[in-house]
Amino acid sequence: MNPDPDRAQALIRRGWRITLVSLLAVATVMVLALRFTPTEIRQGLAQKIFYIHAPSAWCAFLAVGLTGMASILYLWLGDQHFDRFAAASAEVGTVFCAVVLTTGPIWGKPIWGAWWTWDARLSLTLFLFFLLLGYHVLRSAIRVPTERARLSAVVGIMAMVLVPFIHLSVYLFRGLHPTPIVLKPSAPSLDPEMLRTLLFSFAAFTLLYVGLVTLTYGIRLAQDAGERSHA
Amino acid sequence: MPETPSNGGFMVAAYVMASLIYLGYVLVLWGRCRRVGRDEN
Repeated sequence: MNPDPDRAQALIRRGWRITLVSLLAVATVMVLALRFTPTEIRQGLAQKIFYIHAPSAWCAFLAVGLTGMASILYLWLGDQHFDRFAAASAEVGTVFCAVVLTTGPIWGKPIWGAWWTWDARLSLTLFLFFLLLGYHVLRSAIRVPTERARLSAVVGIMAMVLVPFIHLSVYLFRGLHPTPIVLKPSAPSLDPEMLRTLLFSFAAFTLLYVGLVTLTYGIRLAQDAGERSHA
Repeated sequence: MPETPSNGGFMVAAYVMASLIYLGYVLVLWGRCRRVGRDEN
């Protein structure tokens, strides 16, 4: 099926609307976290980094998981829409991963006394980031669309397989990274006010993911439509 | 009772860095949208 330029423009407009609303929601999260959420007594203000670090990690994992699933669907059905979605989701996932790898060490320095340790979760997240960079390099290096889609789908699936290991790494290996306090089998172990801010933050960042992916997908669709019309 | 550490600078740095990365990416997308729009006309 050929890419439709009108559909691409509609997606871009929708993507902008969702992104702008989500950016306002993220700004609200920051105000909530800084002004209306209690400060953790042992960690001090550095604990508030958690309200942007954890939801960014969730969105990075969501993005990579959906990239992997879209890659499987592309290999199975051969539909270009899945390849385009996988590429869009991987791109947005790379941005979320960059935020995780930036805010994590800034929290680690005052709490652990070190910017970085080769803890399993940190190392695997860094490896995921490099895998995502490799995914983009691979896509930009291959000009034949079907070959590009097929090979990058394999990397997308490899990245998806890594995600559960990253989540479970705090249980599988002894390290410094804290264990999950919300995404775990038992009830969340957090003060109700902190939990409220954190849940709002998860919702705001998920909306940001949806907005950015819609926008990136729309741009890729418009680019493909442009290439078809020039060919 | 333990004394709460004063490490607000790290919190500000993290919030600023995250905002820069997200807003920077949004700006990149805005540039790409403009290019796509120009190519269509």
